[in-house]
Amino acid sequence: MKRRLWALVAVIALLIAACGGDEGTDTTDTTEGGAATTEAAGATTTEAAGATTTAAGGAEGDCVVGMSWNNYNEERWAKHDEPAIMAALEAGGCEYIQSDAGSSEEQQITDVENLIAQGANVVIILAQNTQAILPAVQGATDQGIPVIAYDRLIEDANTFYVSFDNVLVGQLMAEVIFDLVPTGNYIVLKGNGSDANSDFLREGIGAVIDAAVEAGDITIVAEDYTDNWDPGLAQTQVDQWLTQANDDVQAIVSENDGMATGAAAALDARGLLGTVALSGQDADVAALNRVALGTQAVSVWKDARALGTAAGEAAVQLAGGATLADVEGTGEFVYTNKETQAETVLTSILLTPIPITQDNLNEVVDAEWIAVEDLCAGGATAGPCGG
Amino acid sequence: MSVVEASPTHPETLGPSPRRSVGSFLRDNEIDTRMVGMIVVLLVIWVGFHFLSGGTFITPRNLWNLSVQTSSIAIMASGMVLVIVSRNIDLSVGSMVGTVGMVMAMLQVEWLPALMGRGNSWIWVATLAVGLALGAAIGALQGSIIAYIGVPSFIVTLGGLLVWRGFAWLTASGRTIAPMDASFQLLGGGARGSLGDTGSWILGGIACVGIVALLVMGRRRRRKFGFRLRPTWLDVVLGFLGCAVVLAAVWVMNSYYLPENLARAYAEANAIPWPEGGLQVPYGIAYPVLILLGVTLVMAFVANRLRFGRYVFSIGGNPEAANLAGIKTKRTIVKTFMVMGILVAVSAAVSIARLNAAVSGLGTLNELYVIAAAVIGGTSLAGGIGTIPGAILGALVMQSLQSGMVLIGVGAPVQDVALGVVLVTAVAIDTIYRRRAAR
Amino acid sequence: MTTTPPGGRTPLVEMRDMNVSFGGVHAVEDVSIDLNAGEILGLVGGNGAGKSTLVKTLAGAQKADSGEIYIDGKLATIATPRDAKAYGIETIYQTLALADNQDAPSNMFLGRELMTRWGTLDDSAMEDATRKIMGRLNPKFQNFKTPVSSLSGGQRQSVAIARAVHFNARILIMDEPTAALGPAETEQVRQLMRQLKSEGIGIIMISHDIHDVFDLADRISVMLQGRLVGTVNRGDVTMDEVLAMIIIGKLPEDVTTTELEQLHG
Repeated sequence: MKRRLWALVAVIALLIAACGGDEGTDTTDTTEGGAATTEAAGATTTEAAGATTTAAGGAEGDCVVGMSWNNYNEERWAKHDEPAIMAALEAGGCEYIQSDAGSSEEQQITDVENLIAQGANVVIILAQNTQAILPAVQGATDQGIPVIAYDRLIEDANTFYVSFDNVLVGQLMAEVIFDLVPTGNYIVLKGNGSDANSDFLREGIGAVIDAAVEAGDITIVAEDYTDNWDPGLAQTQVDQWLTQANDDVQAIVSENDGMATGAAAALDARGLLGTVALSGQDADVAALNRVALGTQAVSVWKDARALGTAAGEAAVQLAGGATLADVEGTGEFVYTNKETQAETVLTSILLTPIPITQDNLNEVVDAEWIAVEDLCAGGATAGPCGG
Repeated sequence: MSVVEASPTHPETLGPSPRRSVGSFLRDNEIDTRMVGMIVVLLVIWVGFHFLSGGTFITPRNLWNLSVQTSSIAIMASGMVLVIVSRNIDLSVGSMVGTVGMVMAMLQVEWLPALMGRGNSWIWVATLAVGLALGAAIGALQGSIIAYIGVPSFIVTLGGLLVWRGFAWLTASGRTIAPMDASFQLLGGGARGSLGDTGSWILGGIACVGIVALLVMGRRRRRKFGFRLRPTWLDVVLGFLGCAVVLAAVWVMNSYYLPENLARAYAEANAIPWPEGGLQVPYGIAYPVLILLGVTLVMAFVANRLRFGRYVFSIGGNPEAANLAGIKTKRTIVKTFMVMGILVAVSAAVSIARLNAAVSGLGTLNELYVIAAAVIGGTSLAGGIGTIPGAILGALVMQSLQSGMVLIGVGAPVQDVALGVVLVTAVAIDTIYRRRAAR
Repeated sequence: MTTTPPGGRTPLVEMRDMNVSFGGVHAVEDVSIDLNAGEILGLVGGNGAGKSTLVKTLAGAQKADSGEIYIDGKLATIATPRDAKAYGIETIYQTLALADNQDAPSNMFLGRELMTRWGTLDDSAMEDATRKIMGRLNPKFQNFKTPVSSLSGGQRQSVAIARAVHFNARILIMDEPTAALGPAETEQVRQLMRQLKSEGIGIIMISHDIHDVFDLADRISVMLQGRLVGTVNRGDVTMDEVLAMIIIGKLPEDVTTTELEQLHG
C-alpha cells in the first residue's frame, strides 16, 4: 500500500514537471486572494490580506499581465509571439504570467480565472473558441480587468482586439494564387471550424475569387474545415480530393502553413508539387523553404513579433489605467456575426501582413525571422539563396 | 471413438449436426464467423461508397491510398489487442507517437547529420534503431509502473498521454521539423516508396504458397493425431479464396500507375526511351503497407504460437489462474507494453515519413482510433478476447469510412458523428452476439 | 489426541507450527498436520477457520509467516506454485483456477505448455494428450476446442482434476471438490479419489459436507478460528463428535452428552 502511494506521488510529480515546463514562464506566488485595484467602472477593490509579494527577478509595483494561451503546441507562439510580448512587458515594467489551456475551452475559462486570482491586472487571451470564452471575459470585465483579444477575435465590445487583419491575410494569399491561376479548379483548405479566423480568411479569399467563381472561370472542386488545423488530416483530405478530381486541380488555397505541409506531401505523391499553386500563412521555416524552392507560391507573413509587441505595449498602457480608447494606435473594427448579423464595435489594433513570395524573400531574412541556411535548404536558388 | 456428448451450442460431431446453419457450419470447421462478418461489412461499405462517389472508391488509386492511410493506426492496433486482452489499456499511444516521432525527426534532420555527416546513407537506419529503442523503453517504463507498483493502467497511461505530449513539444520547442531524410521518406509510401510490380507479384506468390502450405500442414498434423479434419472441399475452397484475395490485392496495387510527369522522371532516371502511348509504371505495394503486413504476421504469430501470447490471453481470462499456474504475470504485462511501445515507434516512423515532416501535435487523438479499431475488430474491453487480424480489419473499416466520407464531400463534423455511431454499433452487435452464443 | 500413521512410516507431508497473519488477524495459528501416502485427510471447519489459507501455503499460493513443511521427511521450500508442483503437489482450487477464455488443452497445460522443437506452442500434441487423459477420466467429454466457459460445472471440474492428476501428483489438495456438482458427478469424483488413494497418492480434502468426509476420509483434522482443534481417525469417532469439534471446539473425550444433543438445536 505504501509503495503504491509513493508511486502515485512520483507520477504526479512527473506530470507537474512536464506541464509546468514551458520556457520563460514566470508562474509565481504573488498576492493572496484578490486582484489589484483598477479604475474601470464598477470595479471592486479587494485588499490582499497581509503583504503582497512580488516574484524574484520580476518588476515591482502592481503591474501583472496574464497571458492565456489556447494551445502552446505550435511553433510560432514560443518562437515569436511570447518573446515579443515579454520584452514589451519588461520594458514597461510589468510582470508576465501565463497558462496553457491545451485546446480546451473549459480549461481556458479556468485559466483566465486563475490568472486573475494570481494578481493579473490585464489579461491577454488567445481564444480557443470565440464564443466559449465570453463568460471568462465577462468575469474579467466585471472585476475591472481589461481583456486583450490576441490574434483571435472575441465578440465582446469590452475587449481590445489586437490582430493582423485576417480578412486581409486571406485576400493577400488569394491574390497571389489568382494571379498565377486566373482560371481553373481550386481546392480551399480551411482551418479549424470553431476558429473565427478560418472564416475571416475565407472572407478575404472570397473577396478575390468570388467574381471569377460566379463567372465560371474558377471552380472550387473541394472545400472543407480541418479539425485542429491538423497537417496529417489535411494530407488525407487532399489525397481524397485529388482522387475525386482525378488530379485536375490547378490551385490549393491553404489557410495556414501547417496544412500546406500536408497538402504538399499529398501533391508530391502525385508528382504535382510545384505545378499546383499552393498558399499558406505564418511563414514557418518549412513553408518559406518551399517558397524558396518554388513549391509553394506564397506564405503570408504576420510578423508575430510585431503583434506581440503591440499587445504587450497595449497591456502596459491598460495596466497603467488607460481606457481602451486611450491606447496608442487604435482604430475601430466592426465585426458582423455571420449567423446573427449582430454587430460588435471593437477597439483594435490591426497590423498589416506581408505576403512572402519568391520575389521578396530577403525581407524575412533581413528581419532575422529565418536563417539563410534554413531558407535555402535543399538546394534552393531563389532570392537570397544566390544562383 | 468414445460416446458423443451433445451440446447445444458447440456440436463437434463427425456427421451432420442437428441444427444446420451457415454459422454453426463455419464454427464447426474452425472458421471465425466474426471475421467473416467483418469482411462482409467492409465489402458493403466499399460498394456503398463506390456508388455514392460516382465510381471513384473501388479504383486502384483510391484503394492504394486507403492502404497507406490505414497503416499507421493498424500497426498500433495490433499491439493494442494484446494490451486490452490482458485487461489493461494504453491511452498514451498518441502522445508517444508525438515524442518518438519528434525524436526521430530531430535525429535525422539535426542530430545525426552533425554526428555522422550530412547525407550519410546510414542515418535512416540509426534513426529507426533509436526510435524503436525509445518506444520500447517508454513502454517498459509504463508497463513496470503498472505491473510492479500496481497503479492501474488507465491512470499510468493517462499520465503518459500528458507527459509524452509535453515531451513532444519540448524536443523541438514546438517547431515543425522538415523534410525527412531521403531514404527514411520511403517508409511513408509515395512515388518512390513502393515495391513495384515485380516485387509485388513475387510477394503475392509467396503469400499464396504460404496459405496453401499452412492448410496442408494443418491437415497433416490433424491426421497424424487422428483428429477430425475439415472436409477436403472446404480446405480447397479456403485455399482458393485465400490465394484469390491475395493475388487480387496485388493486382490492384499493380494497377495503380505513376502519374505522367513522375513516369517521365522515372523513365529518364532509368534510361528508358519514352514509348508512344506513354509508360505505365505500377506503384505496387507501398512500403508502409508492407510494414503493416509484416507487423500483422509477426503479431499474429506471437499471439497464437508463442508462449508469451498464450500467457497474455490466460492473464486476460483469469489472472489468478495464471498466477497459480506459475505464469510470471508481471513480467508478461511489462512485455505487452514494451511491444506496444515498439509498434508505436514503427507507426511514428511511417507517419512522419508520409507527412515528410514532424509537428509537435503528431499523433494527437491516435489512441482513440487505435482502441476503436481493436474493439471494432472484436477485442473485448473486459479482457481475454481479441484477434490481431480483427484489429487490422477494424482499422481498415474505420479508415474506409473516413476516407470515403471525405471522398463524397461529407463535412468534418458529420464524419466525427458517423465514426462514433459506427463504433458504438459495432460493439453493441458484438455484445449481443456474444450473449446469445453463451446461452 | 494423537494419531498413528499406518505402519509408522514417515509422513508424506508434514506441516509443523504453521502461522499466517493478515494485518494482525491470525488466519492460521500454530497449526500442525500431516498426511500419509495412500490416505485421504479430511480438513474441516467452519467459515474463517483457516483451512484454505493453510493448504495454500502448501500449494505455494500463500507465504507462511512461520512454520516448516516436510516432504518425505525432508525440509521443503515452497515459495511459489511452481515450487509446489516441483514437489509433486497439485491443487484443485474451489474456483477451479481455469482460464475461461481458453480451451481444455490450454488449461491442462497452463504454465507447462508443450513446445515444438522450434520453440512454438505444440497445440496438436497438447490436444492429443488431453484427449487421452480425459478419455480415461471422463470418456463422455468431447469439447476440446471450445472455451471452458461454455462447459458445465462437472466438465470444468473434470478438466481441473485431470490437470492435477496428469502431472504425476503425489500430493493432491482438493478444496471443496464436490460443492458444485450434481449427485452423479459427485459419485464420479468420489470414485476417482478412491482410485487415486489406492495408487498411493495422498489427498488433503477440504469439505464442509460432513457426509462426504465420513465417506472418503481416513483421518480428519478440525480447525476452528485459525487453530487446530485436533486430528482424529475417522473410524474412532461419530459424526456428532466431529461436529462438536467443528462448532464448539471440544475433543471427543472432553465433550458432554448434553452438548452433543444441543448441536442439533
